[in-house]
Amino acid sequence: MSGIQSLKIGVSGVRGIVGQSLTPQLVVGFAEAFGTYLDGGVVVIGRDPRPSGEMIRDALIGGLLSTGCSVIDVGVCPTPTMQHAVVDLGADGGIGITASHHPAGWNALKFCREDGVFLNEHQAEELLSVYHQGAFVLRGSDELGRVGRDEGAINRHLTKVLMSVDREAIAALAPRVVVDSVNGAGADCAEGLLQKMGCDVVAINDVPTGHFPRDPEPIPENLGQLCAAVLQYGADIGFGQDADGDRLSVVSAEGVAIGEEFTLAFAADVMAERGPGTLVTNLSTSRMIDEVAERHGCTVMRSRVGEVNVAETMMAEGAIGGGEGNGGVIDPKLHHCRDNLAAMALILQGMARRRVSVAEWAASFRPSAIIKDRVPCRAGHTQRAVLALQRHYEGREMDRTEGVKVFFEDGAWLHARPSNTEPIIRVIAEADDSPTARELCDEAMRVVAEAVA
Amino acid sequence: MSTDVSRPLKITIAGVRGVVGETLTPDLLVNFSQAFGTWTGAGRVLVSRDTRPSGVMVAPCVCSGLTAAGCEVVDLGVCPTAALQLAVRSSDAVGGIAITAGHNDASWNALKFFREDGIYLNPKQAEELLNVYHQKEFAKARWDELRPVGRDDDAGRRHLEAVLAQLDVEAIGAAGLKIAVDCANGACSEFTPAFLERLGCEVVAINDDPELPFPHEPRPTPPNLSQLRALVRAAGADAGFAHDADGDRLGVVTEEGEAPGEEYTLCLGAEMVLGRGDPGPVVTNLSTTMAVDDVARKYGREVIRTGIGQVFIAESAVNYAAAIAGEGSGGIVFPKINYAHDSIAALGHIVALMAERGQPLSALIADIPRYTIVKREVVCPPQRAYSVLEELRRGLEAPWADEINLDDGVKLIGEDRWVHIRVSLTEPRIRVIAEADARGLAMDLADEYVRRTERLL
Repeated sequence: MSGIQSLKIGVSGVRGIVGQSLTPQLVVGFAEAFGTYLDGGVVVIGRDPRPSGEMIRDALIGGLLSTGCSVIDVGVCPTPTMQHAVVDLGADGGIGITASHHPAGWNALKFCREDGVFLNEHQAEELLSVYHQGAFVLRGSDELGRVGRDEGAINRHLTKVLMSVDREAIAALAPRVVVDSVNGAGADCAEGLLQKMGCDVVAINDVPTGHFPRDPEPIPENLGQLCAAVLQYGADIGFGQDADGDRLSVVSAEGVAIGEEFTLAFAADVMAERGPGTLVTNLSTSRMIDEVAERHGCTVMRSRVGEVNVAETMMAEGAIGGGEGNGGVIDPKLHHCRDNLAAMALILQGMARRRVSVAEWAASFRPSAIIKDRVPCRAGHTQRAVLALQRHYEGREMDRTEGVKVFFEDGAWLHARPSNTEPIIRVIAEADDSPTARELCDEAMRVVAEAVA
Repeated sequence: MSTDVSRPLKITIAGVRGVVGETLTPDLLVNFSQAFGTWTGAGRVLVSRDTRPSGVMVAPCVCSGLTAAGCEVVDLGVCPTAALQLAVRSSDAVGGIAITAGHNDASWNALKFFREDGIYLNPKQAEELLNVYHQKEFAKARWDELRPVGRDDDAGRRHLEAVLAQLDVEAIGAAGLKIAVDCANGACSEFTPAFLERLGCEVVAINDDPELPFPHEPRPTPPNLSQLRALVRAAGADAGFAHDADGDRLGVVTEEGEAPGEEYTLCLGAEMVLGRGDPGPVVTNLSTTMAVDDVARKYGREVIRTGIGQVFIAESAVNYAAAIAGEGSGGIVFPKINYAHDSIAALGHIVALMAERGQPLSALIADIPRYTIVKREVVCPPQRAYSVLEELRRGLEAPWADEINLDDGVKLIGEDRWVHIRVSLTEPRIRVIAEADARGLAMDLADEYVRRTERLL
């Protein structure tokens, strides 16, 4: 992929390939735009351990200081830790330097506001307008901000998670846990948290070098090493993290990667005990959360895809739990951010209190298969594709909030939506079994392909 | 021309200099640093800064641009520029960047670029760098070629050791001198008091807190020395010395509290170095006092005059194997240490001279012929500067002048006086410097050429 084509500037931030499209000049420009957008104040920055993180951090600091912002650098940490620090330190905004599940050559900036939640679509548009106008407010040398370090962010985050969980129950179970941190930002703190909760921890890929030994997206096909380690060490559970600690996947004691959809299902099953109340997830997430809601007398609300959309819906509804089916769990008792530490704590508490294994817990849900696929589709053709799908499925129950979601018999569904970050249409289907889900996907993909041909 | 002439940005062979918040933007800094990293290639590059507050903003921009180009950056933190130059020269580094606007006030900052021998870029090299900068086709390292920024907190100390090695520390200590020093809260703040203590001097230091703002313009010229002069008198010190912000220029105050002018710094340094028998000529620039010729003559040495710019002094010092080099601004090069303008080394050698001769500083200065040097300047839009000089050259005639030097601007040289008109490298100004053995004559000479220059604008 050429440098020019790799650059993504959009509502979810700025992403590109280092050495090609993600240049220090671009980072400086966005730092100045963000500083201008905030009109000064304090900005917290954190990064995952990718080798390009320091170069980008330096460019960010230079740009932010020049707009009069002061910077508090929390160093290498999970993205949720940075989001916590924004609130803890009373900052005016935050920037995460991480391309989360993308390969090591990528990096990205993610902007968040004073409540530690990412900019929503409108705010991101405002920031982009400032960036594109290019009229940044630069301060003279007597009005420049200052740089500070905060070494305590991870510990504060750990403490909050520990305080929120039933440590006694977990310690009594004393589960053996293997955690695969993909040499990412979550390496040290995950191990620390699990130990403090009384787990017997085996950590693999636990040196935060930013050199990823596997694809950092925590989906089953990337977790072979973790599955083997769970079997080898006779562990009760395995946790697979992404590079910046906001997506988590679970492996059973039998060494089976049960899929990232179960992460939210399990965590929601525990958060729903706080109910009755509202659980929030996005349109593309498994129906398992509906089962959770039924068990606990809760209701489910579905937002458009994207962490900020789920978070804002949760805040508006006063939700008791939420997250996304990609393995991102949001515990509103702690913060409206996707947080692997919170997810691990919730899941282990659930196992400990229920005295269930991962496999047993998974089996408590109606059997379900979810297929995630994609069809190439230029941005200019997305509406044509969506309209073709709506016509094709006319007569069926449909949700048109984002792309189109179609509901079928037996609780099966199909969601097709244009990606925010790539020239594709994402097609997700869930059904009782894999062939059915596959069939639903294939049908939708044929419709899209024909529509855009 | 519609260009805003007051826009404070100067991109010259002396580096990139501008006002923070106006012209010296992070974008410019990243671009120049990445251009420099492209020019040096992906080797080790050392970075230092002076104490001005904007250094904290500039340094990460520089590190980021260099790193992106594939360089391995080593951050020396706050230290004199001479210490950076020494560290570059005595290591395998391929270059260095000093973040300092020298004697400019705190609203300014600048990048000064050094090549692998620790000397500034010469005009041809600077032009190459500018071509890279303007073409904007920078080297971009792949993500797995990026190298973390290293730290070296020891460069300042190593520099002090290198200076001390050239001095007779015992003899200086035996003289029991009391020395006042004004560090302007600049890069020498943490080094000079310790250096003087190592020399066995009693130290009275002011403005030696690098966290505080510049107490006055960090240019060690007499108008900025009133505090130091009062201190010397009050403390009964044997001498007072004033640094600029990054430790390349030195100002001198006698035990009587008088500031004879920064032109004497080179003369005193030359007395020491030539007197102890270091071989070679004296190198200085066209704008520096005739007293240098007198000192050189006393020791039978030649004086080599160069254009204005530290690189010309340093390169000539190398080429002519000079005993000492420097300029009337108070920046002195001691080739045995390094080819850098080095105010700590200058201070050390003048203290050594006092100890060796056993004379008060005022007497040492009295031995040097006294001229009056008048430095004036005319604000001139940068886009007119060279054409004004060209026009000035055409109408030149002076009955007293028996030599006209056109190496850098124009210099008329007579038996007992000279006047030098040139374009400033660092500011949008034309400088007029005149010297004569009588004060009135020097003033008249300077006035005349200021008027002539102004008429052309």
